[in-house]
Amino acid sequence: MKRLALLLAITLSVPVAASRAADIQLPPTRTVTLPNGARLILAEKREVPLISFSAYLQGGALTDPEGKEGLAALTAEMLRKGAGKRSAQQIAYELDTSGAVLGMGAGVEVTWISGEFLARDEGLMVDLLRNMLRNPTFPDSEFVKLKQQSIDALKSEKDDPNNLLTEYGTAFAMAGHPYANPVEGDEKTLERITREDVLAAYRAHYGGDRLILSIVGDFEPKRMEGVLRRAFGDWARAPGTRPVAPAPARARGKRVLLVDKPDATQTYFWIGNLGISRKDPDRDAVDIANTALGGRYTSFLNTALRIQSGLTYGARSRTLRLIEPGPVAITSYTKTESTQRAIDLAVETLERFRKTGLDSLTMTSVQNYLSGLHPTNYETSDQIASILAGLAHIGLPVTEITEYTGRLLALDSAKVHTVLRRVYPAREDLAFVLIGNASEIRPVAKRYGEVIEIRFDQPLIDTVSRAAKTR
Amino acid sequence: MPKRGQPGAEIVARTFKNGLKVIVWPDHDIPNVALYTWYRVGSRNEAPGITGISHFFEHMMFNGSKQFPPGEFDRVMEAAGGANNAWTSQDVTVYTDWFARSALEIVVRMEADRICCLSFDSTSVESERGVVSSERRTAVDNSARDFLEETVYATAFVAHPYQIPIIGWPSDIERWEIADLQSYFRTYYAPNNATMLFVGDVTPAQIFTLAEKHLEPIPAQPRPAPVRTVEPPQTGERRVVVRRPSPVPLLQMAFHAGPAGGPEAEAEDLLETILTSGESSRLYRRMVDRDQVAVGVGSYLQRGFDPGLLLVYVTVSPDRGAAAAESSLVDELARIAREGVTEAELSKAKTMHHAAYWRALKTIDGKAEALGSYEVFRGDYKKLFTAPERYGKVTAKAVQEAARRIFDERNRTVGLLIPEEAAEASSGGAPGGGKK
Repeated sequence: MKRLALLLAITLSVPVAASRAADIQLPPTRTVTLPNGARLILAEKREVPLISFSAYLQGGALTDPEGKEGLAALTAEMLRKGAGKRSAQQIAYELDTSGAVLGMGAGVEVTWISGEFLARDEGLMVDLLRNMLRNPTFPDSEFVKLKQQSIDALKSEKDDPNNLLTEYGTAFAMAGHPYANPVEGDEKTLERITREDVLAAYRAHYGGDRLILSIVGDFEPKRMEGVLRRAFGDWARAPGTRPVAPAPARARGKRVLLVDKPDATQTYFWIGNLGISRKDPDRDAVDIANTALGGRYTSFLNTALRIQSGLTYGARSRTLRLIEPGPVAITSYTKTESTQRAIDLAVETLERFRKTGLDSLTMTSVQNYLSGLHPTNYETSDQIASILAGLAHIGLPVTEITEYTGRLLALDSAKVHTVLRRVYPAREDLAFVLIGNASEIRPVAKRYGEVIEIRFDQPLIDTVSRAAKTR
Repeated sequence: MPKRGQPGAEIVARTFKNGLKVIVWPDHDIPNVALYTWYRVGSRNEAPGITGISHFFEHMMFNGSKQFPPGEFDRVMEAAGGANNAWTSQDVTVYTDWFARSALEIVVRMEADRICCLSFDSTSVESERGVVSSERRTAVDNSARDFLEETVYATAFVAHPYQIPIIGWPSDIERWEIADLQSYFRTYYAPNNATMLFVGDVTPAQIFTLAEKHLEPIPAQPRPAPVRTVEPPQTGERRVVVRRPSPVPLLQMAFHAGPAGGPEAEAEDLLETILTSGESSRLYRRMVDRDQVAVGVGSYLQRGFDPGLLLVYVTVSPDRGAAAAESSLVDELARIAREGVTEAELSKAKTMHHAAYWRALKTIDGKAEALGSYEVFRGDYKKLFTAPERYGKVTAKAVQEAARRIFDERNRTVGLLIPEEAAEASSGGAPGGGKK
C-alpha cells in the first residue's frame, strides 16, 4: 500500500537547502581483458563477508530469431536447470543451503546472471558460475516444464495491465525495430521454441568474447583474478555474429493503439516516441529534464494528474537508454470515465514543458534531488557490481558515476531546455497506447489519431506488429 | 555469518518527556540518512464506516501542516536532496524519509510540524479521495490476486478487525468526513504512539539536540484504547469462491498463526521458509516441479500485534485446474504436519534466514526498517541482534508442532478464483460515449 514515490509546485518561495553532496567514491577497481576477449572487473569491498557478482553476456534478446522471441530469456533460465554434473534440484539445493541468491534472465542487449554469496562459499560460487555458463545440460524434461511455466506466467501477467503497459508501448512505438520485441516473448512465440532452438542459441551466442564479469566484495583481488582466469580464460569465442541494433528513426504523426480489456474499470495509458541512447552527450541534461517532468513525486506530471486533480494514483515519465535510443514515454492510469481528461492533461503538461522548460527554482531543486540521493544507488556490493558491468557493456568509464554530481551542477536551465526540446516529442508526433474497456473509450481514443484496435488476451508480438504493419 | 565488529553497539536510544522514543544508529558509509517514523496504528484500529482511514492518513500526512502548506512537505524534501514514502499495514503506519545529511534539520522540522499541527484542508481531502480510489482500483479491483486476498481475509476473520482491508471498503473511502479524520489524528498520531529511527551519517548528540528543539515540545495525547477483540478459534474449514475475469485460476489457502512477538514466532518463520523459500522448498518441488499443478507458489506470514494468517498463494496451471492444485497442496501440508522436517532441511532454512538477516542490514534503509520492526513488534530493538541465536535454537520438533497446530483442516480458509469471461465483449460494440 505504498504511497507512490515518484512530482512540483514551484511558485512558493521556501529557500532551497544547500544539499550538494560531494561526489561519491567507489572502491578501487581493476579491469582485466583475457586473451579470449572476456573482461573481468574486480573491486574489493570488505565491510561484510559477502561477494556479489554480475555477469553479462552481450547479445541478449537481440539474438532472438523472428517468430521465436523469448528464446534468449528461456535459454538464460535454463542455465540453472542443469549444469556440469549438477541437476536442477542439486543446484537449487546447494544455493539454498548456502543462503546464496542467484538470478538470471535476458535483457534487450545482454543476458545476465547475478548473485550474492557468503565469502566462505567463494569456491561454490565460481564453480557454479563456470558450469552454468560453460557446461549447461539443458535437460529435456526441465525444458518442457519451464516452457509451459513461462507461457502460463505470461498469461497470468495479463491480470494487471500495469505489468505489460511498457511492453505494449515499446512494441507499438518502435514497431519494425528489434527493440520493439518484449524480451520474454509472447504466448505464441514461446510455444514455437524447441529444445534444439535453445541449444542452437547457446552454441551461437555464449562464449568468452561475450563475457563481462564484475565481482565486488570480500576477497583478495589478485587471487580472485587467478581463480577467474582459470575458470574463463580458455572459454572459446562465440561463433555467432554478435547482433547490433540499427539506429532507429523517430516516427512522425499521431497514432493510437487501443487494446481492449473489456473488464477493465480504468484505462492504462502510454504516450511517447523515440528518446535517447545511453551514451547521448546530453544524457545528464535529460536526467534533469525527466526528473522535472515525471521522475519524482513533485514532478510536473504527478502534480497535474495526481496532486492537483486526484485523477490517478501516479503519473510518470521514463526513458529507456540502450546502445541505440529507446522510447521516452509518459505513463499513468485513471478510471474509465476520466480517460480523456487525464490524457489531455498529460499532453498539455508535456507541451507546456517543451515550451517553457524549467524555471531556476525547479532546476536547483532537481539538481539537489539527484545529487543528494545519488550515493544511495552505490551503497552495496551488488549495486556496484551491477553498475560496473553495465558501464563496461555500454562503453562508459567509471567517472560516469563518480563525477556525476559535478556534471549535474555545471548544467543550467537554458541548456536543459534546449535538450528537452530535442528529446521530448511534440504533440504532433505522439504514439498513444490505451489499455482499457474499448466499448467505453473508443470515441476518446479517436481524438488522438488514427486508431488500431487489438485485444489484450491475444499474444502481444503478433497482434501489435500485425496492427502496426496495416497502418 | 558474523558481521565484522559488534553490530549495533553504537546505537543510542532515548525516550523524551512526551513519550516519543528516538533511536539513532550512526553509519557513515554514505553521506545520507534514513528516517523511519513508526506509528502504532493501522486497519486493526478501524471500525465499519471508517475502514481505510489509517491508510488515508498515510496520504493526508503529506497534505499540509501549520508551517508547511499542502504540497510543501514533498517540495521542500526533494529540493533539499531527499525522497520519501510511507506504508500502512493492519498494525502500523510507517513514514520513511531518505535524504542527504545536509537536509537533516529541515526534515526533522517538517516531521515535527505534521505530528504537532496537521491541517485538514477540504480541497486536499477531496482530491486525495480520488487518489486513494485510483489506488484501490489499481491495487485491488483490477488485480485478481489482491481481490481474492481481500475476500479471504474477510472470511478467515469473523470478529477481529484484521478482516478489514487496509485500503478500506469503497463506500467508506467515499464517505469519511473531516471530523472523522480530526478525531482519528488526535488519538493515534501522537508522539507517545510513535517511535522514530535515524540511521546514517549522523551522531546521537546531533539528533537528540534537534529532537529536544523540535519534537519534545509536542504534547502527548491520552493513550489510545486497546483493541480488545480476540478472534475465536476457527471450528471448521471455510471456503470462498470468487468468479471474475482472470487469465488463470488462483488458489489461496489461509491458516491462523501466531503474533509477531509470540513464543513460536521463530519456529513458524522457519516452517514458512521450508515450505516456500527457494526452488528446493517443499511446495515449489511438489507443486511446480513434480506435480506441475502450479505456475508459481508463494506465502505470506502476517506478523502483527495479534495472531494473523499464514497465507499460501498458488498461481494455478490452467491445464491442470484448481482442484489438482488444491489436492497437491493439502497433501503436502498434511505430510509436513505428520512427518515433520529433516535436520538437513531445518539447517538449510536457518542458513537462509541468517543470510537474509545480514542482507537486510546492508543498507541504512534496511537497518532502519529492521530496527523499527523489532522495537515496535517485539518491544525492544535489541532483540534484532539476538535473532540469529533464537533462530539457531529452534528444533525440528518445534517446527513440526507449529505445522500440526497451523495446518489443521478446522483452521483452514480456502479461497478460489475461477476465471470467467468479461460480462460484455466490447469489440465492435456501440460507442459508449463515456458515463456521465
